[in-house]
Amino acid sequence: MTPRLVLRLAVRDWRAGELRLLLAAVVVAVGTVTAIGLFVDRLREALLSESTTFLGADRVIGSSRPIPEGFRDAARRLGLAQTDVVTFPSMLFGDESPDARSQLVSVKAVGDGYPLRGVLRVAEEPFGPAAVTRAVPVPGEVWLDSRLFPALGLALGDTVALGYARLRIARVLAGEPDRGGSMFDLGPRLLMHVDDVPATRVIQPGSRVGYRLLLAGDDGGLAELRAAVEPDLAPNYRWRGIADANPTIGDALDRAESFLLLGGLLAVLLAGVAVALGAHRYARRHYDHVGVLKTLGATPADVQWGYLGILSAVGGAGVVTGLLLGGLVHLGIVAALSAYLPASLPWPSPRPLALGAVTGFVCLLAFALPPLLALRGVSPMRVIRRDVHAGAASQALTYGAAALGGLGLLVWYSGDVFLTLWALVGGVGVCGAFAVVALALLRGGRVVGMQAGSAWRLALAGLQRRYRENVAQITIFGIAIMLLLILLLIRTALLDEWRSQLPEDAPNHFVMNVADNEVEAVQALLATHTDYDGHLFPMIRGRVTSVNGEPAESWAETHRRGPEGPRLRSERNLTWSDTLPDNNVLVEGGWWPEGTDAALLSLEDEYAARFGLGVGDELAFDIGGLPVTARVANTRRVEWDSLQPNFFIIFSGGALGDFATTHMTSFHLDAEHKPFLNRLLSDHPTITVIEVDEIIRQVRSIVGRVTQAIELVLGLVLGAGALVLVASIQASHEARLKEHALVRALGGTMRLIAGALTAEFAVLGAFAGVVAVIGAEITVTVLRSQVFELGYELHPWLWLAGPAIGAVLIAAIGYLGTRKLVESPPVLVLREL
Amino acid sequence: MNDGSAESPILRARAVNKTVPTAEGDLCILDDVDFQAVAGESVAVVGASGSGKTTLLGILAGLDLPTTGDVWLDGDEITALSEEQRARVRGRCIGFVFQTFQLIESLSALENVMLPSELRGDASARDDASEFLARVGLAERVTHYPRELSGGEQQRVAIARAFASRPKVLFADEPTGNLDTATGARVIDLLFDLNVESGATLVLVTHDAALADRCNRVVTLEAGRVAS
Repeated sequence: MTPRLVLRLAVRDWRAGELRLLLAAVVVAVGTVTAIGLFVDRLREALLSESTTFLGADRVIGSSRPIPEGFRDAARRLGLAQTDVVTFPSMLFGDESPDARSQLVSVKAVGDGYPLRGVLRVAEEPFGPAAVTRAVPVPGEVWLDSRLFPALGLALGDTVALGYARLRIARVLAGEPDRGGSMFDLGPRLLMHVDDVPATRVIQPGSRVGYRLLLAGDDGGLAELRAAVEPDLAPNYRWRGIADANPTIGDALDRAESFLLLGGLLAVLLAGVAVALGAHRYARRHYDHVGVLKTLGATPADVQWGYLGILSAVGGAGVVTGLLLGGLVHLGIVAALSAYLPASLPWPSPRPLALGAVTGFVCLLAFALPPLLALRGVSPMRVIRRDVHAGAASQALTYGAAALGGLGLLVWYSGDVFLTLWALVGGVGVCGAFAVVALALLRGGRVVGMQAGSAWRLALAGLQRRYRENVAQITIFGIAIMLLLILLLIRTALLDEWRSQLPEDAPNHFVMNVADNEVEAVQALLATHTDYDGHLFPMIRGRVTSVNGEPAESWAETHRRGPEGPRLRSERNLTWSDTLPDNNVLVEGGWWPEGTDAALLSLEDEYAARFGLGVGDELAFDIGGLPVTARVANTRRVEWDSLQPNFFIIFSGGALGDFATTHMTSFHLDAEHKPFLNRLLSDHPTITVIEVDEIIRQVRSIVGRVTQAIELVLGLVLGAGALVLVASIQASHEARLKEHALVRALGGTMRLIAGALTAEFAVLGAFAGVVAVIGAEITVTVLRSQVFELGYELHPWLWLAGPAIGAVLIAAIGYLGTRKLVESPPVLVLREL
Repeated sequence: MNDGSAESPILRARAVNKTVPTAEGDLCILDDVDFQAVAGESVAVVGASGSGKTTLLGILAGLDLPTTGDVWLDGDEITALSEEQRARVRGRCIGFVFQTFQLIESLSALENVMLPSELRGDASARDDASEFLARVGLAERVTHYPRELSGGEQQRVAIARAFASRPKVLFADEPTGNLDTATGARVIDLLFDLNVESGATLVLVTHDAALADRCNRVVTLEAGRVAS
């Protein structure tokens, strides 16, 4: 066949409406994938850039040494934005009088332009409402944390002394984007300009100073900079991205990405099913067509290349239309959600468009090619003998190609072989299991049908008669409904998980440095004004000096795994307890008996694993200059996200009970009750209050955005699922209509036929609902445990809701899809078919 | 009347057998059938339902292969050819008229008639098709689709399509089986007129004795064997 003839045949098929379903399936496949892809791509970029506010930048180079000029030059050459941050602890004096109150503060000196990502928040009075500012302190000015005002008896406009420098208090500092991290090491914050640092003369050789170079710019530039400075980074400089900045946000993003990917995968699968249905219908309607062509002299090769040509034409038209549709849909989504989305979404990368186009062609090749290629084998004898086998595609080829194409797409799309393999294994297993259950349900339905009224009897007889097609259809409906249920369940699981991690009343303030003699008074104050639960953790600073008699430094060198994370010899907060803290779980070993005299230790399990420590190891500590030795009794898992006081190392009371310590705890305080902190700090000037409500607010905002994204993807996948249902019903409704037209010709009323069709679809839908629930429960259990690391949970409501949703959905779509033909005279229906 | 032996036959089948496997063992449909037709001859194949007429037609036209035996068509041993090659032979020298018309629903009358010429790559496909449609009396219906035509009109389109490919052999399978008597008679007149005009060999499968009598020769099949 010449290309011109192929094109002419394609145009004639199009005009006759033969290609519309196939084309619609390709358009929706490409459109859905492209719309999800474009939206997810842009939202992910936006979420990432929002998350970078936790760093105050896109990337940070940090060190205890000054940042080399070479790094700055390289960043400048690459056109990256940059600014400096220098942090160090220092004593802050209220004024110059010898008896002035003083407080250890955590100084942060910043350059112009700070922060590169996120915003500073300031208040007009201590603990007052916060507002965003774009400014930073000018030289000669400082901005102070609220708690410093009552602690030092200061007011806005006063002058404070920091080292040799005299600085005026210009504003109350209410929030910095990059404040997270090791919050317990922070004193109250003093923000100043970096140009004032030399005047303080505080930084001397051996001072504890942190230098950071904040960087922002496009990914390419940042990657180039990293490559350029990489050789000079180790061992003194660390390159940090968002994942290092805040593990909670990193986790939330990872899970959201997993979910969005899953949504995308499901859209691809649904689109593939729709294409397969469209192609099978097209092929079935062309068996006779090909038989005639062959009698007229078309060779098998002509048929093969001809239909490949038609498929390519459909593919080309479908991909172009699908890309346009996807672009429009995604713009519509962005417009509809503009109020909830970041003001300026970054431009999408070209990847989603490529993804959409490739998806369209792969869907066609994998799902539509086998049935169309089978047309090559249609016997020309079919034109004179209808009983001659049509030469339908071999099932192995059809399913093999679909599995291979589906797998290829999924792996390419997700970049996650594990997730993909589970989806595929689940898919194949589910299809087989669904078919068995569907058959059992149909057989059961026949028994019930014998007792039913006429419309139901007609419906159940119809279902029974075409049981092969119906088993296939129940399986397809079942999979579509199952995919929707899976999305719904996973979404619920994720949201529950996040809400339980960050409940409304999660602790948002920490109190530290509470001396023994202040414990009662502080407890009384907290109990009156907050939800404080009465538990105070003793806290003391100390460092590990040796492990099993080997100096800690050499032990760490030989046993440490990976360069990141806490260091063995760092000074850290230690506590002791007779009981295992509430949100901790024992991993190895046992907890010690209450009131034990033995010197025992409990280690956080990842910390223990990092340094090759385990139960039975003996650790020596230097605590306030005194040596203490204790044996590891157990390791435990800690929920770092919980915002409760957590410790890497917990001692038994017998080991540390005699040391003089301070205490700490956490509590929740609403924004409107924050002035209570003025009273707490005025009464107890030496205690330290750390506010983490700002960090929690940021985490919540990100979780909220992610939730919206998930709901959107759910909506889009729902749309793709509905299309599969429509395609599936359309693929089978000719056989149904022919039968029902006969019944009408024999005197059946339109009402009987409409009732029977609706009943038939409702029963199909309900059966599909049953198999969908079984599949969804199994898949969600696997996904929860393997992908999202959540626990196991059954959903009893689903067992009622699944079949009900299936029955209503399929009956509605089925009825709407066939109503017009039911209402037309039976002779027309019979002639059309 | 030609007796079919004086000239070299354009269509010849020798010792053709066709058996198909069934649950009860092999079923013999054609049993040692010999057949031949010379150029311009018209041969009717008659017999009761199940006697193997349609199977023989399929094998003679190269639509199907015999289990044993061979068939020559216009000098080619089509039973020794691949499906690809048989299709080319069909395109080159065979025309068909079927009981169920076998028009392609998505194509107009003109497009259906153009199809064989288009498959051969003829540049004059449209003109030829228009001409043949005019000759079967459907010049006014060229843009109509099969579902918009009566049974008789559909069969006339099929006849136009069959002759538009200028075949050397025309196979007709119960061409009046789906038509009323009057319409059937008109269609048959048309078929025979065009056949005489084109000089093609006509192989007509029918169980209508009157129709068979209009042919030069009648071959009767009984239970898969040639009875006359």
